[in-house]
Amino acid sequence: MAGSLKAPSPPRWLLAELTYACPLQCPYCSNPLDYANFSDELNTEEWKRVLKQSRDMGAVQLGFSGGEPLVRKDLVELVDYSHELGYYTNLITSGYNMDEAKIIELKEAGLDHIQISLQASSQELNDFIAGAESFEHKKVVAKLIKKHGYPMVLCVVLHRQNIHQMKDILEMAIELGADFVELANTQYYGWAHHNRDQLMPTQEQLNTAEAIANEYQESQKGKMKIYYVVPDFFEGRPKACMNGWGTTFLTIAPDGLALPCHSARQLPNFDCPSVRDHSISEIWNESKAFNYFRGDDWMKEPCRSCPDKDKDFGGCHCQAFLLTGDAANADPVCNLSPQHHLVTDAIDQAAATSSEKPLVFRNSKNSKTF
Amino acid sequence: MSLVTDQALHLVPGYRLQWEKAQDMFVLLYPEGLIELNQSSAEILQVCDGANKLADIVQTLETKFETTGLENDIINFLNIALENGWITQSA
Repeated sequence: MAGSLKAPSPPRWLLAELTYACPLQCPYCSNPLDYANFSDELNTEEWKRVLKQSRDMGAVQLGFSGGEPLVRKDLVELVDYSHELGYYTNLITSGYNMDEAKIIELKEAGLDHIQISLQASSQELNDFIAGAESFEHKKVVAKLIKKHGYPMVLCVVLHRQNIHQMKDILEMAIELGADFVELANTQYYGWAHHNRDQLMPTQEQLNTAEAIANEYQESQKGKMKIYYVVPDFFEGRPKACMNGWGTTFLTIAPDGLALPCHSARQLPNFDCPSVRDHSISEIWNESKAFNYFRGDDWMKEPCRSCPDKDKDFGGCHCQAFLLTGDAANADPVCNLSPQHHLVTDAIDQAAATSSEKPLVFRNSKNSKTF
Repeated sequence: MSLVTDQALHLVPGYRLQWEKAQDMFVLLYPEGLIELNQSSAEILQVCDGANKLADIVQTLETKFETTGLENDIINFLNIALENGWITQSA
């Protein structure tokens, strides 16, 4: 299927997933369920080539992510190189195993910003969700990040088991000196999709949480910016996925697969190209995967005739695939989708799920079973 | 937060103004985000250097572009930039 023939806009955002390795086991991880199969990581020189070629094309925001990027021994070297290329460098980390020496070393290499995640506002729940004792250390790390002058985003993924802590989470963010707080309702890809019944909050929980978020957005105005990411399952209209497919975002997976969105590895018949075989320019401009959902030639009804098609681009293709089996269908979170019942059914099914049902944690042992 | 005329303006720490050759424009970079700037916004932000106050900014830009009457547009933009937390003021 051909996309629009118009030359694509250049990538602005590069997400460098340096590794799938992670010392934590969060059951909502967006990495693929079978990540353990992709252990052949790009080496330092391959990453440098990706960074240079992407920068030459126009990428300027760079996220080092994973897995846990601190696991990579060449992280400081890659930050240093990226800084030299003129990227705005973001480290997206759990903070696990971070120490003051590393924070200083990264600062000297030119790291611009650190996003640290916490799993909850209490030690017990944080350590349960993370699958590792980490709460107290994360708080120490957050304070060190601020001590060394970084802007800091504190990220907390919200779900049924921690969303009641909203007020405490925000108080914790204030105490830790966060500049930005990202309260991200779980999006159901990868491990989160697998654990959806146990993670999906109720409408009532969401209403309470959103009211608290709004209250703090008002009271923290000018001090701490609070982003509350509304869960699309409850929204009725889909998110404008990736700001439009192949328009802005480029993700490179640990093994060098180039993805238009970090969930796209799972899409069948996409032939996502590898940076081991192609240049970034070939991948961005010419590959089947990146052209697939450009423009609107690919759209079916009800998207094709929808007045909002230039606003939400039909929503999230990975979600359409996961729920309907066809990535070119309208994202079923849209209440105009003929398959919207899949979303309302999922909400009902989650609400009926016993709290006794165990979460499947993200680790290599579990990954090998998929 | 609204504009105080006798205080200097500067970018909030962590924000960076940068010329992007590939896009042929200035962008404002901050944690996990970027804003593509039109020419007039970029001109104003470039002189928010921590020393210039409103009157200095107006004078600098009116001199640079050999024009007058920019003050209202500049005030409007600075208020937006303050409201969005891109710039801040200090005495």
